[in-house]
Amino acid sequence: MEIVIPGDMILDKPIHMENTFIEDGKTYAAVLGIFDQEKKTLIPLEGLWYPKHGELVVGIIIEEKLNSYVVDLNAPYKGILVAKYVRDKLSVGDIIEATVKELDETKTVVLMRERKLYGGKIIDVKPSKVPRIIGKNNTMIKQLTEGTKSTIIVGMNGRVWIKGGDVALTTKAILRIQEEAHTSGLTDRIREMLEKSNKEQ
Amino acid sequence: MQSVNSIKSAYIKEMLNNGVRSGRGFMDYREISILTGIIPNAEGSAEVNLGSTKVLAGVKLDLDEPMPDKPNEGNLVISAELLPLASADYDTGPPSPEAIELARVVDRGIRAAGIIDTESLFIEEGKVWSVFVDIYIMNYDGNLFDASTLAAVSALKTTRMPKYEDNNVIREGKLGKLKTKGIVTSCTYAKIGKSIVLDPDGDEESVMDTRLTIANDDTYIRAMQKGLSGSFTQHEIEELVDTTFEKSKSLRSIINKLSD
Amino acid sequence: MGSSTNKPELIVNGKRLDGRAFDELRPIKIEAGVLKNADGSAYLEWGKNKIFAAVYGPKEALPKHTGDPEKAVIKCRYSMAPFSSLEEHGRSGPNRRAIEISKVTKEVFENVIMSENFPGTEIDIFIEVVQSDGGTRAAGITAAAVALATSGIPMRDLPYAVSAGKIGEHVIIDLNKIEDNYSDADMPMAISPRTGNVLLLQMDGSLTRDEFKQAVEMVKKAGQTISRIQREALKAPYEKISNKYK
Repeated sequence: MEIVIPGDMILDKPIHMENTFIEDGKTYAAVLGIFDQEKKTLIPLEGLWYPKHGELVVGIIIEEKLNSYVVDLNAPYKGILVAKYVRDKLSVGDIIEATVKELDETKTVVLMRERKLYGGKIIDVKPSKVPRIIGKNNTMIKQLTEGTKSTIIVGMNGRVWIKGGDVALTTKAILRIQEEAHTSGLTDRIREMLEKSNKEQ
Repeated sequence: MQSVNSIKSAYIKEMLNNGVRSGRGFMDYREISILTGIIPNAEGSAEVNLGSTKVLAGVKLDLDEPMPDKPNEGNLVISAELLPLASADYDTGPPSPEAIELARVVDRGIRAAGIIDTESLFIEEGKVWSVFVDIYIMNYDGNLFDASTLAAVSALKTTRMPKYEDNNVIREGKLGKLKTKGIVTSCTYAKIGKSIVLDPDGDEESVMDTRLTIANDDTYIRAMQKGLSGSFTQHEIEELVDTTFEKSKSLRSIINKLSD
Repeated sequence: MGSSTNKPELIVNGKRLDGRAFDELRPIKIEAGVLKNADGSAYLEWGKNKIFAAVYGPKEALPKHTGDPEKAVIKCRYSMAPFSSLEEHGRSGPNRRAIEISKVTKEVFENVIMSENFPGTEIDIFIEVVQSDGGTRAAGITAAAVALATSGIPMRDLPYAVSAGKIGEHVIIDLNKIEDNYSDADMPMAISPRTGNVLLLQMDGSLTRDEFKQAVEMVKKAGQTISRIQREALKAPYEKISNKYK
């Protein structure tokens, strides 16, 4: 698997893909990543989150305005919840999960279907690693939940909420997945890590 | 308005109330590494890594005039900069009150402990050495005070002394060392709710109510600084002084092991 | 340019004072991702130069009036530590030279960052020179490019920079401090390697048209080495972990 850097040509023809750009009929990498020849996608090793309709996010309410709440999403743009559609009253400091509705003209992320999350701990990871934390068909996240007994909500914005169970182990496992996301055999190594830790207790 | 960091770190208060601190004891330091001589252009330098807090200290000596009220002494000037690249919360511009407080507290410990004998910096009438110590915060993850004091003292103790010959400052060639005496270090504590912890990291500092820094050498308390709004009881402070004398032993021994 | 009195011989027996050939670069080492808080970072050693580069953003442009509704605003701060030079203690705060370097550096990255993806935001680039020995603006740009790549901010290319110059009748690459002070021409350049486009060009001294062409060729040849070092620095952290689990 070849690691590509910004400006490397990855395809001799123009294909629209995230984290790439097209020039003179050729497709180039725009970020540090790995080009998957089979699937013809660029897997970003470092990349930003580009919000899409329907994605689940975890955020923090940082401001209460007249008709809306401003949500910190650990991203270039803030999120916004329209007050009249909100389920319960929210306050500054609340942690929520929500779904992306759309981006408005200023690229603010309009959120919907929020749910307040009580207690717990937040860790921020790189958005490009989220798919690996969830795993193909949710294999990784299921393994984590079973092995730690924690409730884990992974936002596509890279913000993860952890509550209950072995929070320290969950944190350690997720940070390790982030570091080793680009390697093979990771699911097995994480399983071993969780089993070993549970045996020691 | 609560900051995002303090909201993310709110769980720490409860953990501490239950007697649990992430990865270490309440009175344990994170991993400390000190490298000296990393900036050969400077007469003295040190890089300290305290957990993820990274601090550089550089020492330069210049020919200067003495202060009017101290005609037979050289000058020691300690400055600090919270570089904007060290944290999303640091801005460009003139030194903030935090940067100034940091420099002045580190200065007080070093000056009170007499690490540099400013009379030894006298050259001749109207000519003295000024010792400039610049503390550069490269990455913030809490406890800049202890990291900066370690960096400044380590740099000073491995600083080479330039020569003054025929109106010239000679900074290269075979040089002796800047004359220093003793070692001073500091221990910084954060009060979070009812718990007190040594060497707070960035997350802990975002939820701390108040902070106490105690600088000492092997005999005396040399400087103290309480920071932020909360308060300590007299008993708490006396206990922390005792803890400081205990914990500073290992800090001094790290500095003692440094080679030129 | 330096004074002609006290001018040292910069070329002795066909070699430069530090033993290099006319087209030889000083040794360059780059480490990516060294600062934890920054969104992207790199540490670079280039000869005796030691530089930290860091990137924050894209984030909301503040104050709001500095933002651009069409694209991200790029801001750059190049700064030298007061202890960075072999000579006296420097003054704190940006001087005019640093402000100019900050500006031309920003203009390099405005060319390659896909800023149209992030309207209303700012991207902050910081270059801190902790030890200097000539060519710091080129070294800073080379480091900042690596820092940007580690931040995941999309770019059309990974620029590099290096200075070319002239001593006597010899066109040379990568001037150190003493050469910079006494050379007959000093010309820092930043190049977009993919297109060959010139993103930064400054020059003072005297160059004939042929000497200029020669200098640009030398820059592009040196650029192959510099680009390779940048690429290796970006791949290294990932390859280190991959190799652990082969």
